[in-house]
Amino acid sequence: MDLLAQTGLNAVYAASYISLIAVGLVLIFGVMGVINFAHGELYMAGAYSVVLIYSDFQLPFMVAVAVGLLFVGCLGLLMERALFRPLKDNPLGGLVASIGFLMIMQALASMGFGVRMEHIPPVTQHVIEFSERVRLPLSRLYVIIAAVVLLTVLWVFLKKTRFGWALRAAAQDPEAAALQGISIKQTARIAMFIGAGLAGIAGALTAPLVSVNPHMGHSVIVTAFIVIIVGGVGSLEGAVIASVVYAIVHTFVTTFFDGVVADITGLSLMLLVLIVKPTGLFGSADRA
Amino acid sequence: MLLEMKDISISYGKVSAVRNLSLNVPEGGIVTIIGGNGAGKTSILRAMSGMVPLAGGEIHFDGSRIDGLTSDRIVAKGMAHVPEGRRVFPDMTVEENLRTGAFLRRDKDGVENDLEKVFQRFVRLRERRRQLAKTMSGGEQQMLAIGRALMSAPKLLLMDEPSMGLAPVIVEEIAVIIEEINAQGLSVVLVEQNAELALELANHAYVLETGNLALEGPADELHDNEHVRAAYLGI
Repeated sequence: MDLLAQTGLNAVYAASYISLIAVGLVLIFGVMGVINFAHGELYMAGAYSVVLIYSDFQLPFMVAVAVGLLFVGCLGLLMERALFRPLKDNPLGGLVASIGFLMIMQALASMGFGVRMEHIPPVTQHVIEFSERVRLPLSRLYVIIAAVVLLTVLWVFLKKTRFGWALRAAAQDPEAAALQGISIKQTARIAMFIGAGLAGIAGALTAPLVSVNPHMGHSVIVTAFIVIIVGGVGSLEGAVIASVVYAIVHTFVTTFFDGVVADITGLSLMLLVLIVKPTGLFGSADRA
Repeated sequence: MLLEMKDISISYGKVSAVRNLSLNVPEGGIVTIIGGNGAGKTSILRAMSGMVPLAGGEIHFDGSRIDGLTSDRIVAKGMAHVPEGRRVFPDMTVEENLRTGAFLRRDKDGVENDLEKVFQRFVRLRERRRQLAKTMSGGEQQMLAIGRALMSAPKLLLMDEPSMGLAPVIVEEIAVIIEEINAQGLSVVLVEQNAELALELANHAYVLETGNLALEGPADELHDNEHVRAAYLGI
């Protein structure tokens, strides 16, 4: 029973940061129409913001997280201007350019910080003990709270604000959106800033809890792809729900078998969804 | 003139779609462009609202030159475009679709007022205001697309094949709506394959054949023109 509860807590933690990354990826795909292969490297850039600001400069962790969000959000704006806007009529070109950007980011991180794993001093050693064997480190709780708050804010933004509507309209039909007076350049910038910023903040928040190295984006992007395919490419709700499902499955299988079996299970889950419902759990056919 | 196209040409790559066309839309009028498939009717509307670039010529709207502007800027000047195939936002509700049409407007009271007017004109949209647009029938989606365009409080309404794929009863309904909104002072450019309907509604008509202007004149004259009767009215 304790083991189940503990694994459940671990799954909630995993679901939190995976959904931040996946939702950003879906948002960028929806509005820009490109698959951002460099999304894992945006996550990595967020983690290195913490290495630089928090471990090297010894500024407060919250400052490092805020810098991570803004810095990576601006990287998103740079990608929009330098890669995706010139290639806007060429989705495949955008994808290839994002792979190039991924390699540049990895090389820059290796040159700046070296390829070794970074050691980041823990933000807090405090642990909430539910019982002797069910424990939740406070640093993990922060990630969970941050994810819930950020995703709620994003949801309210998309459903209740003028620019949120513009973003959804542009994601569903960019040309028809332009005919309502919505600037497609502006929605592209907003989507890239938010999408990249969410990856950045996920990287920053989890930096003290994972091994930070220039190639850390790789496993994250694979997970994010599985999640958005299961959830239905283009569906934000789908991405969140699929993140939760994936995290539960992956965490429980890792605990009761091992990590490799868990990876295999995750990919099998994706294949199963593709066979049974090719548009994903919440996807619609016209976007896939 | 509310809108003037001077000697415009449109091409897609090396393929020329429209050649040296001049077209005028007077204030308060209904102008129609008729012609067969691939004649370039849709291209002309898309050029008006900035969705395709001109290969030559100029477009002036409400006193300023608009060719070269992006669609969102042109909409801001008072043009609304009901695109071919309706193009409502499928995963937004009816009300969200309508309010998105008013994206650029700052006058809150005016927007609420116009939303009420749209709901009065299209009663079914009010009944379905919380329903997703994709769950509605073709006719209802066409009403929604027209309502959405009206929400921007435009001076000129471009309509691309509003009757396409709809039952005759609904086509009649849409014809009445076009007449009503025109009677309230809104100028209309109507592109139609249904030439009978178009010539009945319009004051002035342009007949397009494979990118060239074949005929132009008052709609009732063209309606009696032998060539038009034979080629487009099937009489």
